[in-house]
Amino acid sequence: MGGTEHPPAVPRTAADLTIGQAGVIASIEGHGSVVVRLLEMGLVPGTRVQLVKRAPMGDPLQLQLRGFHLSLRAVEAGRVQLREVAS
Amino acid sequence: MTLRRIAVAGNPNVGKTSLFNLLTGSRYDVGNYPGMTVEQREGRLLVGGEASTNVLIDLPGTYSLSAVSEDEAVAFRALSGEDESAPDAILLVLDASNLARNLYFALQVLELGRPTLLALNMVDAARDAGVSVDAAALSEALGVDVVETVARSGQGVRGCTDALLKLEGGGDAQLVALDDAAASSSTELLAALEAVGCSPAKARWLVASAAADRLDLTSVRPPEAEVLAKVSARVRHTAAEDIIAARYARVDALLEKLGIADAVRDGAPTMSASNRVDALLTHPVVGLAAFVSIMALVFVSIFFWADPLMGGIESAIGWLSETVAGWMGPGLFTDLVTEGVIAGVGNVLVFVPQIALLFLFIGLLEDSGYLARAAFLLDRLMSRLGLHGRAFIPLLSGYACAIPAIMGTRTISSYKDRLVTMLMIPYMSCSARLPIYALVIGALFVGGDPWISESVDQGLLLLGMYALSTLSALGAGFIYKRTVLKSPTPPLVLELPPYRVPRLANTTKVVFDRTKDFIKSAGTVILAFTIVLWAVLSFPRDATGAGQGGPTQISKSYGGRVAQSLEPALEPIGQDWRVGIGIIGSFAAREVLVSTLGLAYGMEADDDDPVELRAAIRNDTDPETGEPTHSRLSGLALMVFFVYACQCMSTVAVVRRETRGWRWPLFMFTSMTGIAYIAALIVFQVGLLLGAG
Repeated sequence: MGGTEHPPAVPRTAADLTIGQAGVIASIEGHGSVVVRLLEMGLVPGTRVQLVKRAPMGDPLQLQLRGFHLSLRAVEAGRVQLREVAS
Repeated sequence: MTLRRIAVAGNPNVGKTSLFNLLTGSRYDVGNYPGMTVEQREGRLLVGGEASTNVLIDLPGTYSLSAVSEDEAVAFRALSGEDESAPDAILLVLDASNLARNLYFALQVLELGRPTLLALNMVDAARDAGVSVDAAALSEALGVDVVETVARSGQGVRGCTDALLKLEGGGDAQLVALDDAAASSSTELLAALEAVGCSPAKARWLVASAAADRLDLTSVRPPEAEVLAKVSARVRHTAAEDIIAARYARVDALLEKLGIADAVRDGAPTMSASNRVDALLTHPVVGLAAFVSIMALVFVSIFFWADPLMGGIESAIGWLSETVAGWMGPGLFTDLVTEGVIAGVGNVLVFVPQIALLFLFIGLLEDSGYLARAAFLLDRLMSRLGLHGRAFIPLLSGYACAIPAIMGTRTISSYKDRLVTMLMIPYMSCSARLPIYALVIGALFVGGDPWISESVDQGLLLLGMYALSTLSALGAGFIYKRTVLKSPTPPLVLELPPYRVPRLANTTKVVFDRTKDFIKSAGTVILAFTIVLWAVLSFPRDATGAGQGGPTQISKSYGGRVAQSLEPALEPIGQDWRVGIGIIGSFAAREVLVSTLGLAYGMEADDDDPVELRAAIRNDTDPETGEPTHSRLSGLALMVFFVYACQCMSTVAVVRRETRGWRWPLFMFTSMTGIAYIAALIVFQVGLLLGAG
């Protein structure tokens, strides 16, 4: 990697995804009822999650995973750590 | 006759309600799970059109059985028999077009080891999206019988009924073993729980609840609690993660076997049509505009259709009253029947059009899938205001009428958030306050030097009252959430289902249920209050018989006497005893202030705002001082009083029903009356100081 080109920022969490971009979940950060709920809705490690769109003011996010659509706030999406990006 | 109990469970948005309605012929009783605010529907399974000895129990739709909220706790406890006996069988309803998620719940239910029948619903949608599965393959893979249904059209219901009747034998508890990759502490934790006599299914339930800090929702026994307390929070959390991961690993394996794994990993075939609609409906500009339009359409329709219906009911009640009075002849008992009982029944029925229409629209918006989009659009704003997303429509409805609005808060699952919303709603200026504002403005804010122009001034004043009420409602919510009803903002983890055409039969059944419930539970209270108020304003009877119900009569009534004795309290807010009687009478309904004032001034006040009443108020002078009794300032103080006062017995009745007790309605009434008085006091006294008196 050289030259003056900046490499595109690699999304670290689902909150960093750009529209249409997808990633594979590495883990869910944190403890408590929200994390349990996120895991049970299917946001388990290894799941592919894609950003469909954001609400008018950038929050919440509409994510696609496991064949359905889920609405999450940016703060919750920020707990979804990604390990690789797919598009 | 032993009844066979079949619990019906499934995710939300899978058509469970439709299937339940079809299987029971929509004949069911609504009750409560003991100790919870969650409702339960129970109905007999129809066999050949007749009620059989099988009882279907509709459990709340949940995404999981882990007790993270009340709904899941109820579902697990009912299915596993924690509180009462376990059901004889379970009917598990899955969305065939969404198996990638539904199967997780299915695996949890199968861990319980009860005889289970799987209803694969919405197979038509699955077919259209290209994700159909072979029911036989699914049956073989899960080890349970599977029937295909399309509850929208009724297809497969007969097959489902037959299969339920044949269902017997205990299933084996199908426990999903933890992966090899799972932490050893997780396996040990489960083993430790089982060692104290906990069933494997319950052990998994407890671990998840413990990781979510919600053991309070479970029926955890002391030895089990001890085992959980002995390990660290990290161990508990890891164990929960490992259990969930293992289940999803099994789900993925099943999806592979059924041949749909690829389709649902990289895309969402069932959402393709909905995505096109959402390109508009959740578009930043078009979406918001559409939302505002839809809300406007709903509320305009309600006014447009409810108003004539309400007028019709009022006329019918009036006609009935006159006819009965004609039959029975004049007398005390006649008055009790006409002005007490018949008027009371009228006061209850008059709400039916608004309730029915609001719930019809809400039902259609919910079942079509649109409300999830609305929640998506509004979440930022609502959470900034500290409000629950589902509070929007009830709060907005409060501008029309608090009664259906308060009833509509039932969709808010958190009890505290629901209560905050219910307490906020009466502050929204409902349509009944309008006649009061119109009367005061029309009587006292005429003539003299206008600020801009008379009609603009009047309009601004009216707008000011509405702005004041909105800010007060938001302020009340703010305060309640930070003091008495503190609860954290619930996270948003909301499924956006595919758009579907609502099944009208379901929606109308809900409207019918809610209306019937209102009439039975709130209606009795409203009727009682009507009779009491009638008595307070009609007794003691004027012995001379002069002016039946005229100004002398009403001033001599108990209500009148109370108002006169309260004059020292009314003076500081700029009001006299006649307004005092009006305030007492307006507890029946705010607009009754107008007719009660009319009576107090000796009018034949039948319509809402007679011109003569305005003149009478304007020209009324104090017999002692010769000064006008009412001024612009006193009118302003009165309007401000009504912005805040809870002068509506029906609101009290509905809050009593929704909170199942008198504590909150009493709190609401006294706090609002207190605030109303203080606000009017401030307005009037400060106004006097500024020389506006």
